[in-house]
Amino acid sequence: MAIDSYRFLDFATRQIIKAWVNREVHERRPIPWTPMTRPLAECTVALIATAGVARRDDVPFDQERERQNPWWGDPTYRTIPQGTTEDEVKLYHLHIDPRFGQEDLDVVLPMRRLGELASEGVIGRPADTHYSIMGYQLRPHVLESETATAIAREMKARGVDAAALVPA
Amino acid sequence: MIPDFTRAVGVPRLAGIAYPLSRPMGRPGDAHGQREVLRALLGLLVSAQAPDAYVELPYTWPETPAQARKGADVNPPIAQLLARKPWLLPKLYTGEIPDEV
Repeated sequence: MAIDSYRFLDFATRQIIKAWVNREVHERRPIPWTPMTRPLAECTVALIATAGVARRDDVPFDQERERQNPWWGDPTYRTIPQGTTEDEVKLYHLHIDPRFGQEDLDVVLPMRRLGELASEGVIGRPADTHYSIMGYQLRPHVLESETATAIAREMKARGVDAAALVPA
Repeated sequence: MIPDFTRAVGVPRLAGIAYPLSRPMGRPGDAHGQREVLRALLGLLVSAQAPDAYVELPYTWPETPAQARKGADVNPPIAQLLARKPWLLPKLYTGEIPDEV
C-alpha cells in the first residue's frame, strides 16, 4: 500500500485508527460480493455520502444527543434527491470540516459529476435519489443491521444497479 | 482518506486516495478533478473481479497536512470528553464503548 493513510491525521487520531485497524484485521469477516449484472454504461448508479448531509427541510442528524453522549453517533440516514444543491442541505457531522461540502456539495456527494459521467455515457443514469449517513459510528450495529438494509431495500425498489460510497 | 482502515473493515471494492478528510472528491470548485476521481471510482465496478479489490488513485493533494488543516474549526464532543476525562481513552482503543457517559 503506497498511500499513507495517516498523513493528514493528527497524532491522537492516527493512534486510535491504527488500533482499530489492528483490531479489525484480527476480526476479519467474510467480505460480501455482488457481481455486476450489466455494463456500467447501462447502470443506474446511486451515491452514499457519510458526511451527515441532510436537506434543510428534513430532520437534522441528531447532534445534540451526541453532545450529551459523545460515545453515540446518529445511525439513521437521509435521502438526497439528484439535483439537490448546497443551499438546500446542511452537513451535520461534528468530526469533519463542513465548510468544503457546504461550499461545493460535490466534494462529499458528487451528484453533478455523476450526471456529467452519465452524459458522457460512462454510466447509464444517476439514481433519482442518493443517500447520506453520518459516519461517526463507534458501535455500528444499528447502522449495519437497520440503516444499511433499509438503504439497500430502497435502492432495489428504485431500480439502482450499483452504488458508490463516499466516506468523508 | 484512510484506505488502511476501510480495507481492514472489509469492503468488496475500494479506491484509495491520498486526500484529507472532509474532501474525499477533491477541492471545492474543481469539477474536472472531482469528475476524474469519480470516473476512477466507478471504473472499479468494471475492473474488480473479487472481494477486497483495491486500487490506489494516482492523484495528489496540493497542500501539506498543516495547510490542509488550516482554519478548521472541528472539535468533536468525544475529543472534548476525553480532554476532561483522559482515563476513558483506552475505551476508544479497545472498542469497549460505553452506552452512556
